Amino acid sequence: MSESTITRRGFLKQGAVAAAAAGTVGGLISYDAWSKAYAAADSQQEVKKVHSLCNSCSSKCGFTAHVKNGRVGTMTGDDEHPYCEGTLCARGYGYAAVAYSEDRLTHPLKRIGEGEFEAISWDDALTEIGDKIKAIVAQDGPEALALIMDPRPSGSYYTKRFMAALGSPNTYTHGVACNLAKTSGMTQALGAGDFTSDVANSKMVIFIGRSYADGLRPGSLHSLQKGYQNGSHIVMIDPRMNNSCTYATEWIPIRPATDLALILAMANVLVAEDLYDHDYVDNYTVGFEDWASRLPEYTPEWAEEKTGIPADTIVRLAREMAAAAPQASIEQGWRAATGCSHQNSGETARAICLFNTLLGCWGVEGGAYFPPSVSVGKLEDPRFAAPPKVEAKIAGSKEYPLAVGSMGVATHAVQQAGEGNIKGLIFYQSNCVGGYSNPAQLAEWTKAADLSVAIDVQMTETCKACQYVLPDTSYLERLEVPEFVGGKIPVVALRDRVLEKIHPETRPVDEIFTGLAKACGVGQYFDFTVDELADAQLKTVGLSLAQLQEEGIHAFSEKAWKPQLKTEWKTKSGKVEFTSEACEKAGFTPSPTWVEPLVMPKEGQFRLVGGKQTIHTHTQTANIAPLMEISKQYSLERPWLNAGVAKQMGIEDGDEIEISSEMFTGRTRVKVTERIEPTSLYLPSHYGRMIPEQHVSYNVGLSQMDFVPFHIEPGYGGTMAQEVIVTIKKVGA
Amino acid sequence: MTRYGMLIDTTNCIGCFACRTACQRQNGLAANIDYIRYEDRETGTFPNVGFEVIPIQCMHCEDAPCVSVCPTGASYIDETGTVRVDEQKCIGCKYCMAACPYLVRVHNPETGAVEKCKFCAAESFEGRGETCSCVEACVTGCRIFGDLDDPDSDLNKAIAERNALPIAGDRTKAKIFYVR
Repeated sequence: MSESTITRRGFLKQGAVAAAAAGTVGGLISYDAWSKAYAAADSQQEVKKVHSLCNSCSSKCGFTAHVKNGRVGTMTGDDEHPYCEGTLCARGYGYAAVAYSEDRLTHPLKRIGEGEFEAISWDDALTEIGDKIKAIVAQDGPEALALIMDPRPSGSYYTKRFMAALGSPNTYTHGVACNLAKTSGMTQALGAGDFTSDVANSKMVIFIGRSYADGLRPGSLHSLQKGYQNGSHIVMIDPRMNNSCTYATEWIPIRPATDLALILAMANVLVAEDLYDHDYVDNYTVGFEDWASRLPEYTPEWAEEKTGIPADTIVRLAREMAAAAPQASIEQGWRAATGCSHQNSGETARAICLFNTLLGCWGVEGGAYFPPSVSVGKLEDPRFAAPPKVEAKIAGSKEYPLAVGSMGVATHAVQQAGEGNIKGLIFYQSNCVGGYSNPAQLAEWTKAADLSVAIDVQMTETCKACQYVLPDTSYLERLEVPEFVGGKIPVVALRDRVLEKIHPETRPVDEIFTGLAKACGVGQYFDFTVDELADAQLKTVGLSLAQLQEEGIHAFSEKAWKPQLKTEWKTKSGKVEFTSEACEKAGFTPSPTWVEPLVMPKEGQFRLVGGKQTIHTHTQTANIAPLMEISKQYSLERPWLNAGVAKQMGIEDGDEIEISSEMFTGRTRVKVTERIEPTSLYLPSHYGRMIPEQHVSYNVGLSQMDFVPFHIEPGYGGTMAQEVIVTIKKVGA
Repeated sequence: MTRYGMLIDTTNCIGCFACRTACQRQNGLAANIDYIRYEDRETGTFPNVGFEVIPIQCMHCEDAPCVSVCPTGASYIDETGTVRVDEQKCIGCKYCMAACPYLVRVHNPETGAVEKCKFCAAESFEGRGETCSCVEACVTGCRIFGDLDDPDSDLNKAIAERNALPIAGDRTKAKIFYVR
């Protein structure tokens, strides 16, 4: 205790900064002040409780809002929602401020010059956009349209239906800058794109570049905490000592982009030392011999050269995993090593699946499982009938054949707009331009399209690049279609209207796409309200809209996961496939082998790595005052530099440094820390927003993507967000 | 008697800031007004590193310097041992801010008063038992709220079992106990 006791002096230093900040920041009106001003008029109002779903990240956790005087006060996480299990994260509470943000988009806008917009009526906006879409379809066909969105319950339904009604297959998600390569790589091996490590009941789990405590989904963190407290051996492989290391038995730093080398070497140990599950491999897999014949060259010593992890540590980890199996797995990762970061991300994801297969952990308690889920049944009402099936394949499927079609390669579509092959681009809740790859490049291509439309709640880099900007309601102001969520106990949950509409000229996503469809002459597919749709969907699972609004979340306890060895797979062979013809056709080896990263830092260079902080989601939360205030107060926008390297370079904590890549040069203050390996510079992915209409986030820190050249992972389509080399120097030195 | 206190187990704190934003929402605070602040530290050198995050808020001291220096009696200790501020009596002189060794008092420009954690316990968590917004929100459950005068409270049991201590010794008789 004595060594770490905080001194009064230490307190004073920090507190003075906090006090100064508190006294000088203006223009922020609190709920308290607001409610006092208005309390006289409606002090008799009851507190209304509404169940809904968060929108601060893709997890969409369930919560209960206490609403009084038309404002959200207390919020609590819903116990039954598998992603939050009763607790929200900091974003959940803070992001609710978006509804009252002074920076909300309040009217449809039309671009009249560089960075300049004028407000227009909805009628004019829909008519002009509809006419342009009809002209594109008439002249170049529906394949010349592309729509990019970050999936949300209504967003997913309405965007896909709208594009299908027009006859276009080109609906993309944000996956290209998220989990596209992971899902695609896993699909090649398992025929399924996601699995969950049963960390709570495990004996050992290796996490590779994923941190449940930073990209926070509370339910996952609870599972990690339980596993650790139950004595599981939790290993964090990460260039950074991330915040999940609170629940890790060891942190093993790795040079980023070399995770595949570690997995290949560990697999080599399992096979060479005969530590793998023969029964599982013999009965439920195909192609093992191919991989076994390729592994011997990947010795632990070879992997040490690549990864920086000592060979004896690699051997130890492999043996420990074998000893813990089948209550052991490599966790699937998400964005970092496997999702979209490197030239070898997709193959890294495939190798993780095959390594886990050697452990025989599939479906076993404490191993890795596939959470059961429930889905909507067939809707009888003809108004909900699907538009004719679109036969064409999503654009990019030829160039990136391994990318799963349900996500697609969004950046390819934008590139095609630049080349004149895609004529119309529509973005829904997607800051593609600001976050999916190099922003300057994506903006240029977006501006080249004949038609570009962005639908959002605040002005973004994407909105700025578009001809039309349509103002969405915030997530607190609308009902959406039901959200079916997989989990140990699957549920259906509902985003409901927590608040009345705040800005009269905003419209919810369902009304926007219904309006667009009518303007494009395909309104017949949207002859219903979202309430009618939600009710009809829920009736197919024995519920009703009114019932779910009351309940908030409905758990399908009868469908709960029952641990049992998984022996059937949705691959062509019905087994786990060590070899893949599709991968071979795409230029990889039939079973995974080493794929060199696109770039590697030499002496004096660094790889720029990104990653989430718990209080932010990509660029989406940067302009939310309760969250950005934390960043500003604690200087969270600063890049992390290894302390030993900093000392050699004469750089001290808080010094201003200049960071340069082939694309961009920028200055910021630096955090010097022992928590990062020497060849990496970690720049949190949320900052460097330069949109003047975003008054909170403007000009705080640097944007990781500004440094990254535009490129796409061969075969898999990921954005290769960390394939970039930077140099740094101290400003004024 | 009731004497409210809290335990914070920093070995379970991941530094996620959920307690801060939940507190702001519960207490209707502006984005830049915080009742909870954080200290963090690293130990060791790469690659043998440790880190610790310590959330700090009003300790509800029994020997509270903020109460002693308050010239108007705005700062006081109520019958539950909770240190409170009477906004009507506060003249915004900030003596209490200077006196508080934990630096957890904030001047709210909207009200002109000095504010801080008020153990928001009893206010609006029906169905969740007696708890504060920071306790309710904590993703890892590192906080326990309760009655220090009740020998059977979970709080007292946890303080004894985990050897929890005030953050900076017992100089102010602080009622938040830390596990580190």
